[in-house]
Amino acid sequence: MKKRVLATLISAMMLTAALAGCGASAGTPAPAPASDATEEAAPATEEAAPVEEAAASEGAAGDVTIWYYWETAGHQEALDHIIQEFNGQQDQVKVQAKYVPFADFKKQLSVGASAGELPDIVILDNPDHASYAAMGIFADITDKFDVSTYYPGPVNSCTLDGRLYGVPFGSNDLVLFYNEDMLKDAGCEVPTTWDELLDVATKTTKGNVYGFAHCALQNEEGTFNFLPWVWSTGQTSYEINSEGGIKALEFEKSLVDAGAFPKEAINWTQGDTMNQFISGNLAMMINGTWQIPTMRSEVPDMHWNVAPIPQDKQQASGLGGENYAVIAGGNEDGAIEFLKYATSKDTCLYMMDHMGYISSDSTIAKDQFQGDPVYQVFVDEMQYANARGPLPEWPDISDAISLAFNKVITGDSDPASAAAEAQTTIDSILGK
Amino acid sequence: MKRVKNFFRYDNAGLFFILPAFLYMMFFVGYPIISNIILSFQNVSVRNLVNGQKKFIGFANYSEIFQDAVFRKAMGNTLLFTVACLLFQFLIGFVLALLFNKNFTFAKTIRGLTMIPWMMPMTVTALMFKFMFSTDVGIINYILRSSHLISENIEWLTTPGTAMIAVVAANVWIGIPFNTILISTGLTTIPQELYESAAVDGANAWQRLVKITLPLLRPTIESVLVLGFIYTFKVYDLVYVMTEGGPVNSTHLLSTYSYKLSFDMFQYSKGASVANVLFLILLLVGMLYLKITMRGEED
Repeated sequence: MKKRVLATLISAMMLTAALAGCGASAGTPAPAPASDATEEAAPATEEAAPVEEAAASEGAAGDVTIWYYWETAGHQEALDHIIQEFNGQQDQVKVQAKYVPFADFKKQLSVGASAGELPDIVILDNPDHASYAAMGIFADITDKFDVSTYYPGPVNSCTLDGRLYGVPFGSNDLVLFYNEDMLKDAGCEVPTTWDELLDVATKTTKGNVYGFAHCALQNEEGTFNFLPWVWSTGQTSYEINSEGGIKALEFEKSLVDAGAFPKEAINWTQGDTMNQFISGNLAMMINGTWQIPTMRSEVPDMHWNVAPIPQDKQQASGLGGENYAVIAGGNEDGAIEFLKYATSKDTCLYMMDHMGYISSDSTIAKDQFQGDPVYQVFVDEMQYANARGPLPEWPDISDAISLAFNKVITGDSDPASAAAEAQTTIDSILGK
Repeated sequence: MKRVKNFFRYDNAGLFFILPAFLYMMFFVGYPIISNIILSFQNVSVRNLVNGQKKFIGFANYSEIFQDAVFRKAMGNTLLFTVACLLFQFLIGFVLALLFNKNFTFAKTIRGLTMIPWMMPMTVTALMFKFMFSTDVGIINYILRSSHLISENIEWLTTPGTAMIAVVAANVWIGIPFNTILISTGLTTIPQELYESAAVDGANAWQRLVKITLPLLRPTIESVLVLGFIYTFKVYDLVYVMTEGGPVNSTHLLSTYSYKLSFDMFQYSKGASVANVLFLILLLVGMLYLKITMRGEED
């Protein structure tokens, strides 16, 4: 009898092993990040001099691992380049980078945090910064870096309760991209207001071409692209059930109702949206700075240009970008040593230019894109770019907002009730 | 000493043979499950995952998720998804198995080929179906329009009602080979003489199916259905890639919602609670399966 019970128990467990994949979520011991590290930094070349000549001071030594999520080959190569340069300059600190896919990045950080297996530096999406800072996995580096010349938006995103938990890596923002030929064919000027945008989008919609789209995924990416409408009405991200919030949702609805905005945009990433645009399926889109290098190399002959996002009451854009954060309890000295190098003017410029980013340091940004009118639009838009959060519970707020515009776009609810529902969630998170 | 000797008499020694497996399962399966159960009774969120006190809050997470509209929707979806998938997978798989049981030319080759959907990585299948169900350029709308079944494109993946149909269709396609193969194997165990003598006695094809095939296949059918239930109930990647639970949460399953709570929204304890509900249901089904197979062995 005992044997039977044991056999049953074991086979029950074997069976559940097959299906416990989800059951084990956050409690599982962290597996090695399951990604092909496509761009492992090569070790420093062997010409390095004996140890005593080391440039690294303050006792910084040892290995430093960086996690990042850029999938674009150009971005990976740029990071690899500065790492090799840093490793070649001194031989105390050896930096290595590891690619973790964006879809897995937050999961790996959470799992790594609970298992105590984290890298020394992470380069992460800035709206998530506050969450991880609140979790306590980032080192307080308030006195280590001078961020007084940085734009306030990016600095805010690294700050929690007045302390600095990271350094802005670089910023990007959103603008309106338009296909010059399609607008000309439809006899339209570049729209500057919502009404004009609706009008131009409707006129440029024909055949397989939609007039306008932005990524409308039900996640952070979608929220990022939707929020400029709300900010443009003068309302904040926490005031969806307000005159402005509802107006923004109604505007979205009018675009969809006019047939000018593809409902499928709710399944498009920003990259997908850009691909639709360069394939000639979209006359206009909202997208970010980082798409420019790709667009210039993929479709060098296409006539496109950029303009500020059409506005309601005021000009507004979304602030995106990444921050560097140092993991608390890791090789903090080594990590800070690398970050000092990475944020120095020349290195920073190299990264920004190769990645199509705007430096978060205004002194570097202001002469970054001299003579490039396309980038200049982005740099100008930076002063109107709003940050999301910072709030540790931002992902929940973001989810409520993205649910609201998804309901409106799919026709599941009308703008007023979608806004009311989102507000209930937001208020409960903010503890109102 | 005598006691030890007694212990090794009969086949108690067998216990030692299963010890490695037992330890392995305890550590790699038992531990995560237990730690997940503990997590679901705590209040772990973004604020206290690493530092800070993790308080035990009893069943608060469970009572919260059962009041959560998205959870209830996900629960209903999971059941609907599982039942719909099982039904179609099984029926189509069964018919195909009967077909391939006839020894026509290429029967074996084609039966082998039908395994492809089962072997293909889930993500690839999901992407393929995502393209096929796309509104403007998808082949499914194209076929429906060319055959004049519809005049307007159906917005498969962007309308709450139809998105579920699309993910079910994708999963049915994946699951058919599993059903076909298991039932085919089951069919080969039925002695051919039974059919021959039934035919001599004047039973027609339908009678042979209902009176011989189905009763003799019963153990196989039970296994296929229960295993199919387990495989389908825990589907995650297919839905995640095709719809991410959208549009407007209409295709969230317990698995995708649990992931979203834990890793997108940092509500670890709530995510664990959802996962445990999923786990509990599957455990019950798993027990049922064990009961069925053990009964088979005793016969």
